Amino acid sequence: MVIRRMYSVPEHITMASLCAGAIGAVYPVITAHSGLPGLPCPLRTLTGVPCPFCGMTTATVALTHGQWATAASTSPLAYLVAAFVVATTPVLLARAAGLTRPPRPWSAAARRRTRYAAATVVAMSWVFQLHRFGFV
Amino acid sequence: MADPYPGAPPPYAAVPSASPYANWGQRVGAYLIDIAPIVILEIIFVRLVFALFIVVMIASIGWTISNRWYQGGTTGQSLGKKALRIRLVSEETGQPIGMLMAFVRDICHIVDSIICYIGWLFPLWDAKRQTLADKIVRTVVITDGTGY
Repeated sequence: MVIRRMYSVPEHITMASLCAGAIGAVYPVITAHSGLPGLPCPLRTLTGVPCPFCGMTTATVALTHGQWATAASTSPLAYLVAAFVVATTPVLLARAAGLTRPPRPWSAAARRRTRYAAATVVAMSWVFQLHRFGFV
Repeated sequence: MADPYPGAPPPYAAVPSASPYANWGQRVGAYLIDIAPIVILEIIFVRLVFALFIVVMIASIGWTISNRWYQGGTTGQSLGKKALRIRLVSEETGQPIGMLMAFVRDICHIVDSIICYIGWLFPLWDAKRQTLADKIVRTVVITDGTGY
């Protein structure tokens, strides 16, 4: 049996990113009025070392408020995710409107290439964060 | 034409079928419903009446034990999962995992958080839409009525 997803993995990531963007737009208001603490980085809290995704919350909030320079200097990864979302959203909308057929499963080679690419991007983001916090 | 081999199993073929696994949005929605009473209690009482902090803590723990571990473990459905029509079951038996394993699964969510919360995003790309905690305790979250 082949289990088919209605949407591809990139489209699922886009949907989650759009949700994150929507939350990012109102995040300062939520934290200001609820008194809830921000999302701490577990790695940085425990060891003092930033993780590859440090700054994503700040960068997402900055992006959704048009503060481009702040976003870029905090986490370029947020820009990459934003570009990914912009590129994938038309496909997602076409799929939701029934204009395209359900996605086909990727080949093993394509999955492997994607994993390598994602690992490379995460590694580069980590180097950036380590540099930002003065570790390298 | 008559089937020359009546009763033979159907041929191997890629038969597309709807995924039985609950998607990430459903899981997040269920989790938000589960923790909503706790967050609301904390915002209202702890901020306004700090003296009630202990009471709110006890109520939050009681709610978690009752909703996520007892209900979620014995029936497969906490309040949030019931609302989103999804169910937590054992990957191997397809049955609810019991109160103790529901507790262990929530403890294992520490692993999802410790790696920069990436474990919580695993259902976005994982074939069985499992978090790392699900993989550790061998559970899946399925949509109701898919006959996992």
